[in-house]
Amino acid sequence: MAANFWASSHCKKLLDSDEVGHVLPADQERGLTAEDVKLIKIYLSSYIKNLAGHLKVRQRVVATAIAYFRRIYTRKSFTEFDPRLVAPTCLYLASKAEESTVAAKLLVFYMKKIPPEDKGFRYEIKDVLEMEMRLLEALDYYLVIYHPYRPLIQLLQDAGLSDIIVTVWSIVNDSYRTDLILMHPPFMIALACIYIGSVIKDKETRTWFEELRVDMNVIKNIAMEILDFYENYRNIPEERLNAAMAKLPQSYVNAVGD
Amino acid sequence: MVDPGNPRQRARPAWLQQYELVGKIGEGTYGLVYLARRQQPLHRGVRIAIKKFKQSKEGDGVSPTAIREIMLLRECIHDNIVKLVNVHINYVDMSLYLAFDYAEHDLYEIIRHHREKLSSPINQYTVKSLLWQILNGLNYLHSNWIIHRDLKPSNILVMGDGEEQGVVKIGDFGLARVHQAPLKPLCDNGVVVTIWYRAPELLLGAKHYTSAVDMWAVGCIFAELLTLKPLFQGIEDKNGQNPFQLDQLDKIFKTLGHPTADRWPTLLNLPFWQANRNLIQGRKYENPGLYSIVQQPAKSPAFDLLSKMLEYDPAKRISAAQALDHQYFRTEPLPGRNALVPGSPGEKVVHYPARPVDYSTDFDGSTAPPQSNTNLAPQQQQRGEHMMQVPAMHQPLHLPAIQRMPQNNMNNFSSVNQQGRRKEPDSGNQNYNNYQPLNKSRRM
Repeated sequence: MAANFWASSHCKKLLDSDEVGHVLPADQERGLTAEDVKLIKIYLSSYIKNLAGHLKVRQRVVATAIAYFRRIYTRKSFTEFDPRLVAPTCLYLASKAEESTVAAKLLVFYMKKIPPEDKGFRYEIKDVLEMEMRLLEALDYYLVIYHPYRPLIQLLQDAGLSDIIVTVWSIVNDSYRTDLILMHPPFMIALACIYIGSVIKDKETRTWFEELRVDMNVIKNIAMEILDFYENYRNIPEERLNAAMAKLPQSYVNAVGD
Repeated sequence: MVDPGNPRQRARPAWLQQYELVGKIGEGTYGLVYLARRQQPLHRGVRIAIKKFKQSKEGDGVSPTAIREIMLLRECIHDNIVKLVNVHINYVDMSLYLAFDYAEHDLYEIIRHHREKLSSPINQYTVKSLLWQILNGLNYLHSNWIIHRDLKPSNILVMGDGEEQGVVKIGDFGLARVHQAPLKPLCDNGVVVTIWYRAPELLLGAKHYTSAVDMWAVGCIFAELLTLKPLFQGIEDKNGQNPFQLDQLDKIFKTLGHPTADRWPTLLNLPFWQANRNLIQGRKYENPGLYSIVQQPAKSPAFDLLSKMLEYDPAKRISAAQALDHQYFRTEPLPGRNALVPGSPGEKVVHYPARPVDYSTDFDGSTAPPQSNTNLAPQQQQRGEHMMQVPAMHQPLHLPAIQRMPQNNMNNFSSVNQQGRRKEPDSGNQNYNNYQPLNKSRRM
């Protein structure tokens, strides 16, 4: 339901770690590895954020768009759906779902101005509009996504740590460079981000966490995943990324039919 | 599945062949609504209402209306909320089809039948059961931070024969929104709620509003169930964007008296209250007489509940949860699940009439002859061979959220307008006398 995470489709559809980050058979055939797929997803998550900056939409729209993007690729291969079209279309769809609609025309204008589209992949408005429908279908029409931002504010207040909100908020933003949003309830991600933030800012939170009676192992696993991103994927060497992107098809069949 | 002998079926996408089209039952700005029957073995013959959304004209893909409806109804599971059964896409013309459980009746038709055909009120058990179920569905929405924003009799569906007979389903979520943490002020969506059911804070230009706007609309619907007439039948000013609706406010003030800052402290902050000081503040409204209009004793539980729904101050207006707890629902007759059974043993069952179906329109709309928008009597039906044979006594069709097909025989309901003080400049407007404003204020 729209404001009750526990009754939501988002909650019911949370995935296990073996259901995300796997390489679909069609992608395996093209030689894409789990590492390639991870890089492509990180790269295009950043792309969504970048594009959103030009379109002046808020962080929640970005977060919803990335969640759509990542959810799609647990089901669809990169061979079938071009991530360079899927990513901006996810932003387009998320802008409608979050009541901040951006015009397709403007979206496509900026798509052509920033990488990767500036390097030859040219998609037009009609491609975005068609992909919008295919995404709706691929998402099985479930569009409501919960994010850690709201619980984050409440939890920080409760912990008396509102002064580190800026730090923790940006850690939450960075958590979207991973598939965590598909796997864990948003408040658990928020808690993991608070955990990391409190370590960085040297805040004592042990007692507070103990009183919450949440599974600290899960919190630590989430934190590890985010730290792994910071350590190993924050700056992806261009040649590694290019090598991964080069394995994508050079052209995509318009597989639309009925 | 495909019948090669039938060229029409051959041209249809596979998913459409799950359904046997009966005909068109409604039409809105976004597209058409069809009645169909399911073909799958387990559900054969089950009726489904299919709402077709065209691509938006502005070249902006799936309409935000369709997105809202899909997004919210995909999550809503409640007895008193219309059920979205399926969504389908036709890539050929880029249209989207939403398939809903079909509900035979709606309050617009039920009220009209009593007013025009039976000339008798709806029995008290039915009124109470309908109202209780509307509130029950609304309480579910509100507790999940969804505001419907377009409640009116035609959006309150009632199930026909079958296991769910007489069960209310709130339909048409095309304007519904989650308001827990809106990214933009709610007023950015433009004018909401059909004018007769629009809450005074909206009429006065409130920028932020709450689920209380839905409760005002329920109050208007409650009064209409009691009297069979729309309670505040103002004439809509259609000039410009979100014009000041003086006539609608005038109708409300005449019945409920003038709002005062005493009773409604935030009144003074509302833009239109300030800007139209001399227009509305200058008028004197005497003799507030809601109880005489609804013909309920001023001390009855029904009147008490109604007046709490029509409280001016949205902060004081009764909530859906509080209303469900009201004395009215604990006095006889108690509300029930099947609102359409007789109130007491021996009372006659009311048979509500069939909704008109246009049998000549195909799913793509393309085969519709020009006259197909009008109400076709059964003997005039042009049935394609692919169409279902409809029993002579077919049931009313219904469908969430659509504007009704124009009906030749729709009687105008004009008496209320004669009380209008102003001369209506737009008296040629065909909506002027109609029972229901045809033009929904629906802006994205």
